[in-house]
Amino acid sequence: MLANYSALFAVLAFPGGLFALAIGLALKGADRRLAARLQRRVGPPLAQPFFDLVKLARKRTMVPDIAAKPVFLGAPLIGAASMLLAAALVPIAGVYTPDPALGDLLVLLYLLTVPAVVLMVSGSASGSPFGAIGFSREMALMLAYEGPLVLVVAAVAMRTGAGMGARVSFSLSEIVAYQQAHGAFLFDPMLWPALLAFLAFYPANLGIVPFDIPEAETEVLEGPLLEYSGPALGLFKVMSALKAVVVLSLGIALFFPMAPAGLAGLAVQLAKLLLLMLLGVTVLRVSCGRMRIDQAFRFFLKWPLALSLLSLVIVSFA
Amino acid sequence: MKTLTETMRGLAARSPWIYRINAGSCNGCDVECATTACIPRYDVERLGCQYCGSPRHADIVLITGPLTARIKDDVLRVYAEIPDPKVTVAVGICPISGGVFRESYAVHAPMDQYIPIDVNVPGCPPRPQAIIEGVALAIDIWRERL
Repeated sequence: MLANYSALFAVLAFPGGLFALAIGLALKGADRRLAARLQRRVGPPLAQPFFDLVKLARKRTMVPDIAAKPVFLGAPLIGAASMLLAAALVPIAGVYTPDPALGDLLVLLYLLTVPAVVLMVSGSASGSPFGAIGFSREMALMLAYEGPLVLVVAAVAMRTGAGMGARVSFSLSEIVAYQQAHGAFLFDPMLWPALLAFLAFYPANLGIVPFDIPEAETEVLEGPLLEYSGPALGLFKVMSALKAVVVLSLGIALFFPMAPAGLAGLAVQLAKLLLLMLLGVTVLRVSCGRMRIDQAFRFFLKWPLALSLLSLVIVSFA
Repeated sequence: MKTLTETMRGLAARSPWIYRINAGSCNGCDVECATTACIPRYDVERLGCQYCGSPRHADIVLITGPLTARIKDDVLRVYAEIPDPKVTVAVGICPISGGVFRESYAVHAPMDQYIPIDVNVPGCPPRPQAIIEGVALAIDIWRERL
């Protein structure tokens, strides 16, 4: 029984749930603030995403006449719930090891595809032509970036498995433990191509500027989110804040989970997240323009796929 | 002592999202609105404002133009799509009185015959400072309605 309660606590409070949401919103706030500073503006307060969420909770949710109402309102709930669970699956080095009963890396891979599917479903359920364009773009982009992600994860899993005498290890806790004993994969030349592929993957998954094609504000008016208002839109904001934490923490767990135990470990994790968010997300999104969907599709099927495949081949023959 | 509801209202009022409707404007006021938001000098994001592309996300509506006969129905339809609570700001002299187009057969100004206007920002076009002041007044009204 106790194990059940601790799993529930992990999903709802720490490190999933409230904790991940607070971190996600703070990261988004820091991102907007730095973006403003880089453009020589003052920028919004750090807690701005939190204000936005409170505001959205007090607005009315309108459902378009032509929308499929149950799907339209259910999709954001499923998206936010999946990310809540995913946040409890990623270990924080020295602080938190997920309960194996919750699921392993494969479950996390499936959960990571849910937000994209939710955006597709909600875009098509809204009945808006912009939603439909967003749907088709999201699908193309997802098909392009999921392949490299799976190969990156497989390469890391095989590398860990080979080191531990097994064939593969799909347990994130084992991957973290192995790196803490034998050195981070960040310094392992065999996995450098996989690291590069992951660096190309996460901007697409988080929907930031070179790859924010499905939600392109200036082209398709935020595509799938166009018809959403009030609390339903707020759930999408919750989903994207949680997704930022999950994806960046996954990157940290796969490649550089070095941290002391206890509270210091938590502080190190937060520092890493902030660094990744500011350098990897903000600087990237203020310094490039948006790709076209065909360019992004070709890019992902060329470089990240080749790099992650290369890493997998090296690891499996080493 | 402030109640939780009031605190939440105060927090929510710090996130006004802005939407622009062009009701047959000559684009002069639209350029001023874009200037207000887009250039670093007048950064309105520091008030928590954010321009949004969809009327469904909007809290404060900036309407420019004299409401031409051709576009009237569309403007009313888009306005109805904005979820409550909302505040309307008329930017420029056109929505207020019709400006130079007053008494034209093709124009339905003043706008407040059809849409409740909360703040008037006169000018042809108004200065960015005036638009920001209008938005600030609108935020005060909006806080009451939340």
